[in-house]
Amino acid sequence: MVKHHPPADFLTEYAAGVLPMAQSACVAAHLSYCQRCRHIVERLEDIGGAHFEQLDPQPVGDSMLDRVLARLDDPEPLRYARSEASDDRLPGLLDRLINGDYADLAWKRVTQSLSISYLKTGDLDHEFALYRIAEGGKIPEHTHGGSEMTLVLSGGFSDESGEYHPGDFIVREGWDKHTPVALEGEECICLAVLDAPLRFTRLRHRWLNPLIKLNAG
Amino acid sequence: MVEKTTQSAAPPAQNNGKWNVPTGRRTDEWSQALVSVGETQDRAAFTRFFRHFAPLIKAFALSGSSLSATHADELVQEVMLKVWQKAGGFNPEKAAASTWVYTIARNCRTDMFRRLQKFDTPLASDDFELESEEEESFIVLHTRRGSERVRELMGELPPDQAQILAKVYMEGKSHSEAAAELDLPLGTVKSRVRLAIQKLQALMEA
Repeated sequence: MVKHHPPADFLTEYAAGVLPMAQSACVAAHLSYCQRCRHIVERLEDIGGAHFEQLDPQPVGDSMLDRVLARLDDPEPLRYARSEASDDRLPGLLDRLINGDYADLAWKRVTQSLSISYLKTGDLDHEFALYRIAEGGKIPEHTHGGSEMTLVLSGGFSDESGEYHPGDFIVREGWDKHTPVALEGEECICLAVLDAPLRFTRLRHRWLNPLIKLNAG
Repeated sequence: MVEKTTQSAAPPAQNNGKWNVPTGRRTDEWSQALVSVGETQDRAAFTRFFRHFAPLIKAFALSGSSLSATHADELVQEVMLKVWQKAGGFNPEKAAASTWVYTIARNCRTDMFRRLQKFDTPLASDDFELESEEEESFIVLHTRRGSERVRELMGELPPDQAQILAKVYMEGKSHSEAAAELDLPLGTVKSRVRLAIQKLQALMEA
């Protein structure tokens, strides 16, 4: 039973399609675990539907109708096949990003009990990563500049504010200090989406960027 | 991601009674048309549907003036083709036809923005869709009534809240983009959205 949900702001931006790709993927993965939030998103999409009905119609010529009618029998574009090897409890979209087993990913060992694998979503402003924490393992106390979304995929962890299980969604601001510890009995895998580290956008500082570790994208 | 504009898709301040409120089982013209398209590939029903919705999709594409007229036309075609391909998955018990079309248009617009920005990603918006599931009938009923109430309530929102919802939903502006355009603090935008959603939520749970 999922107990921790995304705040309403995120669900609204998600339903309106304006959430950045990496955050949107994290919210969508939560929805695959959580019927409550799916229903809320359906209602939030009705806000879109209600506005949509009220737009001022813009003229569309019959030639466009003819072009569409002529293409109705075209075969649907193929999406590439999903990997068969992966855990079927995983949300489909993560499946597509991971494209195989956890074991096949490039894991970077950060501490004895923590490894991180960075996944590419195309979103350059957010880091999208899987955290793998050994059972009972700690993540060192950390703070960083932006916000951090976490979704538990398997196992669980606890921190100063509670205990989290698969499907639970947690948002932290960078200034919150917290020290998550994986629950005993099973390793914990989480999806974490972080605002990307500082990037220099002023022309005269850009030369510094290659010196800064960037894992977004 | 979107150009600035002075055009606004905000609905008029006083629009009580203007919002279409579906009642009972969804047997309205557009739900019926979608069901016929899905079940029997009914081209006549699709044509009626096109004549009604294509002009709205074009309006959606142009709101926020982020797409050129050529891209807007391309979007209309893309969305209408998806309507044809996906109509079999439309469930009139669960969603209003306009909401269903809106979600397709929203996804296609997002994908088009990303293509235009040469955003390099392995994902398309369709990947975000969840498998449709069998649901208990009381949940479906609850869902349908919620959807009607959302429409009822839309006409009652104060203009400042309605304006921001229109910016976010129709023009595709994030809360911070909406704040910049309206020259308001981000906190004000967020609290207006939150107030509007709280009203909806209170109604949904009533």
